[in-house]
Amino acid sequence: MSDNPALVSNPTIEVTGVSKWFGQKVAVSDVTCSFGPGLTGLLGPNGAGKTTLLRMLTGLTLPSQGEVLVKGALPRASVDRYRELGFVPEESALYNTLTARQYVAYAATLSGMGNPEPAADRALELVELTEDAGRAIGGFSKGMRQRTKVAAALVHDPEMLVLDEPLNGTDPVQRAHLIRLLGKLAGEGRTLVVSSHVLQEVERMTDRVIAIVDGKLAAAGDISAIRRAMSHIPYRVLVECDRTRDFAAALLDNEAVSSVSIDDSRIHLETTDLIALGTTISKQARDLNVRISRFAPEDESLESVFRYLVGGR
Amino acid sequence: MSAFVAIITVTVRQTLRLRRALGLLLLSGSAAAMYLLFMVATRNSTNSAAAQIEEGIEVSIGMTIGVFMNIVVPVVTLIIATSVMGDERRDNTMSFLVLRPIRRVVIAGAKVVAAFIEALIINGIGAAAFGILVAIKTETFSYFVPLLVGTAVATAAYAALFVPLGYLLKRATLIGLTYVLVWENGIAAAVPALSSLSPWRIGASAIAALAPRDFQELVGNEFGLGAIDPGAGGAVAKAMVLMVVCSALMASILRRRDLAS
Repeated sequence: MSDNPALVSNPTIEVTGVSKWFGQKVAVSDVTCSFGPGLTGLLGPNGAGKTTLLRMLTGLTLPSQGEVLVKGALPRASVDRYRELGFVPEESALYNTLTARQYVAYAATLSGMGNPEPAADRALELVELTEDAGRAIGGFSKGMRQRTKVAAALVHDPEMLVLDEPLNGTDPVQRAHLIRLLGKLAGEGRTLVVSSHVLQEVERMTDRVIAIVDGKLAAAGDISAIRRAMSHIPYRVLVECDRTRDFAAALLDNEAVSSVSIDDSRIHLETTDLIALGTTISKQARDLNVRISRFAPEDESLESVFRYLVGGR
Repeated sequence: MSAFVAIITVTVRQTLRLRRALGLLLLSGSAAAMYLLFMVATRNSTNSAAAQIEEGIEVSIGMTIGVFMNIVVPVVTLIIATSVMGDERRDNTMSFLVLRPIRRVVIAGAKVVAAFIEALIINGIGAAAFGILVAIKTETFSYFVPLLVGTAVATAAYAALFVPLGYLLKRATLIGLTYVLVWENGIAAAVPALSSLSPWRIGASAIAALAPRDFQELVGNEFGLGAIDPGAGGAVAKAMVLMVVCSALMASILRRRDLAS
């Protein structure tokens, strides 16, 4: 097995030195990774390049540089390859005048299935859309539209599934069901690549993660290892209070604080121990008779976390 | 159902919505409406019956060339054909199609045929309405079938040209209109040698070949064919060649280019 956590020993999909640029904008930059049987989470903030990478995996988009191989061949080498691939795009990609059953049966017909209607019914049952199968997609909620797309991607029983933000717009019950379904499909030995910008969603689905930020591979491998790596990186905290300058000077003596800066009468702190800071800062405020009106982490978004990862490489 | 037929069925269903179809039918029926006005205006004419029929034939030819083939057929087909792939590209349903195990030429061919069928339904209704009125006025249905054949040929040729245009360009309708007005009614009209590159003239050559002798004798060169010899077989062959070539071109584009969202 490779030492590189971005690579798997039995790859179905291999991405080697892949870059993609659109004019002056670099969407994906020199990414090397691979995906094998099981579920891999493709994690990154919005605009990180996840969708472009997924589109290159399917052959919808060609790399500007590097190579994507699906089972050893270029995705566009033969259209027969698409018998083994299912894709759930992030965007709508639905025919609003069709019913869910017609849409999924259409997908089955296009995939060369001889008996599309029963296959469509089975796929719709998997995503729990049987009751609404006869309704026009144009009247569906976002969650139902997502599930319809998943059914259409599953209808021909593909070996590989690429899903771009499949949980977007789903309610908690639907989300839990889809996560279970994807887990089951991965357990059957299929290769699933699922993108998301929500860390908690990916954590519920898989341990293996490829993280992308600004088009670059930011981290890869076991999700708990990534979390451990993140624990060494200081958190940024915003403090709003009166007597800003006096309090900022006092905070320099706080052992939990690694740096302090002031901007527009707000204090920005860096700490590696958020809990200790929370305890000590309130004591310091009391001692100095300072009133804190706001104490908030600045780094809660996934984007900030991944920026740390990129910066820390 | 084969993938080819399935794509045609879904495309027609998706793009030929009721409101749009009604709007296009109004446009398609404009030649018939104008001919009806002519009939109403001349109903109390004191001319002899033979002279009235002769006048009816002359006006029908003038309207066929000046209104129906020249404006109605290209514009209706342009609106329909540019949307069959252009809309799918813009609403991202193209990714649904191209990620299936279907040869690209099947997708492209089905889209061109779907555009042809849709446009032929609309243009055909307009042509039939116009043809019936001409038959009533001229007391013969001999112009009816030539008009329908010519309409079908021109529709097929325009569908073949405008499907790739709609896929490749964002302002395809505007550019298509410019093509119709500037190229077909300007340059190709002024240079007879270029008339083979004008789809409506290809359709008109089928009408000219199939139209009864009394129509041809009365109108002389008003078919506006330029260097094209009248001929139904040749016109059908040209339209079919255009459909095959444009389908192959579209297939090549689908194979080579990114499917940008």
